[in-house]
Amino acid sequence: MMTPEGLTALEQLNELRLTDAERAQTLSIFGDMEAREAALQEIPTDGVEVMVHVMPLTNVLRDDVQKQPFTRESLLEGAPEHTDDSWQVPRLVK
Amino acid sequence: MGQFVTEIKSGGGIAVDDTIQVKGYETKAGSRILEGFRPLFSAEAVERLERAGYDIAGKSAVGEFGLDLLGEFAYGAETCDTLRGAAAELVAAGTVKGALCVDLNGTPRRAAALSGVDFLKPTYGTVSRYGVIPCACSGEQIGVAAKTAGGVRELLRVVAGHDPKDGTSLPAETYDYHDGKAAPGMRVGIVKELYGAASDEQKARVTACAERLRGMGVAVDEIALPLADAARTAWNLCLCAETCNNVSRYDGVKFGYRSPDYRNIDELYVNSRTEGLNFLTKFVILYGSDVLSKGRYFTCYDKALKVRRLVAEQVKALFKDYDALLCPACSETEYRPYDIKDAFMTVFAESLFTAVPNLTGIPAMVSGGVQFMADALRDSDLLNLAEALEGGNAS
Repeated sequence: MMTPEGLTALEQLNELRLTDAERAQTLSIFGDMEAREAALQEIPTDGVEVMVHVMPLTNVLRDDVQKQPFTRESLLEGAPEHTDDSWQVPRLVK
Repeated sequence: MGQFVTEIKSGGGIAVDDTIQVKGYETKAGSRILEGFRPLFSAEAVERLERAGYDIAGKSAVGEFGLDLLGEFAYGAETCDTLRGAAAELVAAGTVKGALCVDLNGTPRRAAALSGVDFLKPTYGTVSRYGVIPCACSGEQIGVAAKTAGGVRELLRVVAGHDPKDGTSLPAETYDYHDGKAAPGMRVGIVKELYGAASDEQKARVTACAERLRGMGVAVDEIALPLADAARTAWNLCLCAETCNNVSRYDGVKFGYRSPDYRNIDELYVNSRTEGLNFLTKFVILYGSDVLSKGRYFTCYDKALKVRRLVAEQVKALFKDYDALLCPACSETEYRPYDIKDAFMTVFAESLFTAVPNLTGIPAMVSGGVQFMADALRDSDLLNLAEALEGGNAS
């Protein structure tokens, strides 16, 4: 059962902060979902393989090929802030 | 016209959901956290449409990362009285010829059923997901909305086919979509667990559809899918776990929204994500993180993946005797705005009708307000069924 302390740890782990009202609501939904999980536990799955991929594909590796997918100019277009040739990021160390 | 359209530059072309990248357009996946993000490249499906001569009309709004019921929690969207989904509304109104939509948890299927248009979520892996803002990669899939099954078929033939940039893309270079069985002679099963959970209005739609199918020589029976409810729980567990990982990249540093209020890097991360994500996404992240944690992984996530296999086997067994399954796409025929605190359980409830195709990768098509499902790679059968019901060529 999710506890307020456990939820606080999850918030910290995921770099999020909930309001008190959101925390109460979150704990309530966790309770609802725990009932659903209990129903799932009733289904016998001993010996059943997990199914991660729904289609039968396997990874096939090829040799690396050097390409230039983007120009420097196009990459700078995606930057929140940039100089003439580089991304600018917030100063985080004094 | 509804409130959800983000940016339609020209009529008559193809609308693209805001969870799909289009170069030159702001692509924010319905979220403040991606506000201002303009992708460097278009999704493969979009590029294929453009190469084939189709105009991209613009972006159709979605709820944050497509996690909500019908796009009701799109960042910056105006409120409205009735929820029907932006892309489906644009198609229904004739503003666009068709739309590309990401089916993550059934949203485009619900929207199509409510707006009276057709939508096909194709077999997983047949349409490249390259360029989709990812959430639950193991089950989300780009699909096509259009006014008719013929319109869906036309666009699907363009966008489907192997893409080496998508590691989950199936190997076939092209798909014909004209190679299905003729509707007369098909066997269709009404899924009693989904039929029984719908409103009387939705039941009436399914019943009327079944009668029409019988009239054209389709055998229709009631069948059981006992794991339907388990499929819903399993898919939502997978969705939350995968989304938790995929949206961890949004931290206010690399792109999108950055909180102006921070004193150190921890505050930058926390404030940007707290201000940039809505409560539904926050819950999905927290729950997904929990089901992946030590002590919960095997009882939740691992269990869901085992149930996924059981559901896939149960569905496969049904398709030995039936060509398609028939059921409602949602419980009601009309949806109203509601508070975001109720969003997760509202979507969870409705995903009963849509989870099986996301969980198992099978195709699902909404036409005439009802939903059909078929075995993997039998998308053409669904198109034929829909076309027959629309009075067109049945094969």
